[in-house]
Amino acid sequence: MRDTPLSNCEKRFLLKAIEEKKRLDGRQTYDYRNIKITFGTDYGCCIVELGKTRVLCQVTSELVPPKDSRPTEGIVFFNLELSPMASPAFEPNRQSELLVLLNRQLERCLRNSKCIDTESLCVVSGEKVWQIRVDVHVLNHDGNLMDGASIAAISALSHFRRPDVAIQGRDVTVFSPEERDPIPLSIYHMPICVSFAFFLQGSYLLVDPCEREERVKDGLLVIAMNKHQEICSIQSSGGIMLLKDQVLRCSKIASVKVSEITQLINKALENDKRIRKEGGKFGFAESMPKERITTLKRDEAPVEMTDVKETANDIVNRTETSTEAVPSPVLVAAGTAHVGEGIVNSWGLDEDEEDEPQTEDRKTDEVMVISDSEEDEVVILNEEAKKSKKNRK
Amino acid sequence: MAVEMRLPALHKHVSLTTSQPHRDDKHLVVPGDVITSDTGFMRGHGTYMDEDRLTASVAGQVERVNKLICVKPLKTRYNGEVGDVVVGRITEVQQKRWKVETNSRLDSVLLLSSVNLPGGELRRRSTQDELAMRDYLQEGDLISAEVQSIFSDGALSLHTRSLKYGKLGQGVLVLVSPSLVKRQKTHFHNLPCGASVILGNNGYVWLYPTPETQDEEAGGFYTSMEPVSVSDREVISRLRNCLLALATHKVLLYDTSVLYCYEAALPHKIKDILKPETMEEIVLETRQRLVEHEG
Repeated sequence: MRDTPLSNCEKRFLLKAIEEKKRLDGRQTYDYRNIKITFGTDYGCCIVELGKTRVLCQVTSELVPPKDSRPTEGIVFFNLELSPMASPAFEPNRQSELLVLLNRQLERCLRNSKCIDTESLCVVSGEKVWQIRVDVHVLNHDGNLMDGASIAAISALSHFRRPDVAIQGRDVTVFSPEERDPIPLSIYHMPICVSFAFFLQGSYLLVDPCEREERVKDGLLVIAMNKHQEICSIQSSGGIMLLKDQVLRCSKIASVKVSEITQLINKALENDKRIRKEGGKFGFAESMPKERITTLKRDEAPVEMTDVKETANDIVNRTETSTEAVPSPVLVAAGTAHVGEGIVNSWGLDEDEEDEPQTEDRKTDEVMVISDSEEDEVVILNEEAKKSKKNRK
Repeated sequence: MAVEMRLPALHKHVSLTTSQPHRDDKHLVVPGDVITSDTGFMRGHGTYMDEDRLTASVAGQVERVNKLICVKPLKTRYNGEVGDVVVGRITEVQQKRWKVETNSRLDSVLLLSSVNLPGGELRRRSTQDELAMRDYLQEGDLISAEVQSIFSDGALSLHTRSLKYGKLGQGVLVLVSPSLVKRQKTHFHNLPCGASVILGNNGYVWLYPTPETQDEEAGGFYTSMEPVSVSDREVISRLRNCLLALATHKVLLYDTSVLYCYEAALPHKIKDILKPETMEEIVLETRQRLVEHEG
């Protein structure tokens, strides 16, 4: 099912906001969304959340015969899938342009950069090598799938452990994880893609575009870099003309972002390692906050507070002066007080109010016996009757 | 920017269901529910036969007409009928037609031969007209049209062959569920509060300022770009919030209900209408007035 098209006024609004250096979610031009990396119980399973974009990556290994042209190298196979779970615009089993683009960029970023040592994956030269298969599934599409996929892929590869093997001549024994600890892959460096979206013929750029911003973009520049400031791949799509200094500026921004993201990935990996060693609980279930009474918890929304003071003063000055304050209570006797002045008694009685406290005091001392003979009319409604009753007693 | 904050308070939920005598007869089903095991019924839309038992395939209300049982879904894409008025957005300009998005399963089709071109009705469509299609309707434009026929795959064929249909100019579009728009004789209303509304059967409602003079020779493609006065804008904003309030509480939309809701919302500030408590109040008042009006 095709996505509902963006209306003209939404497009105009987004472009106008970008011109004024404002973004829909309040970020700055070069800000990334919140990145959250969680690992599963199996080695090699990782979910990355880039704002609302969620990408799952699973790494598996298998012993296969090697390629004829490279008998001493292992094989790394990448596969990215877009299912209708990510967005209603994706149709199942449809080879769309976006899918091909993402797959190619992921391969270029991770395979051509030679970040994984394929020689170490060889078991028996020419006969058996490890095939590492990286499956990336997009769980939710809220923009910038490329970055999310690359972070997920490299995190999962760094987290993955392959089974240990022992070679006795031509015999190969593969040990299960219970027999011998699995071995991590040897990864030289972590290439990470950083996406830049260009708007209005290349005059404005945004880092990490969200889905709405992606719909109105003119072109996209993806730079894959590692923390040693080595560019692994650059791809520019959309047909926009970019100036030399624009590309250089983007690469500088990318190096800053990549070092931050690499730190984040390393921290997540260390956390996971520590928890596993200590014997604590790990996996996806533990990373989700448990359901509590505070189910109405929401993410913090940034609020612009630059002119709050002036506006508040404005409002205070503009409002009318409040009515007179209520007078403080006046203590009449212990246990009785009155606040303010009441209105005139409208019961139409001749008794003064001063008699009331006295009668009340007397009432509390005596126990009023209400006779149940039918002769007396027991009407305890007004002062006169009470007084007459007391006189009778 | 001043921000309004409210503490979460337990506000009493006012039961808005009016006591109608036939309320308890509604037979609601979810997909998979067995409607009847009797084999004497014919199955209609929204049902399927599962081992001799008639089961529902959508979530909705069961309707029975003599021997025909069908399920009318509560939330669905728009299913067009011939003669419906729809409001749609142009998504593509193709060779001799435009593709219009109308909240249905497939994009609707507006053929070049089904539009009014300036210069007379019975003009033959030349190749020049084809090349100039984009001058009339571009991607992203909103139009009002009528359903002329339905293709075999379910796509609708639209036409704008009357002066009241055509490209829409300045106004506000509100998206509601198609099942909330009541079928009436006319869907174009000039409300006495100072705005006009087109209640599209596909759930797209268009609010616009009432034009002073009805242009006769415009042919439906001329859109006035004159600035709209502030009072008109306020009326339209209030109407839009009222429509959202009615849609949230699942009230059928037609000119009377919209008007009553507008009058009930007059004492409130326009942005206050969107608060849940105010919405409930206004809809309650509207429902009461509608019940009095009928009874």
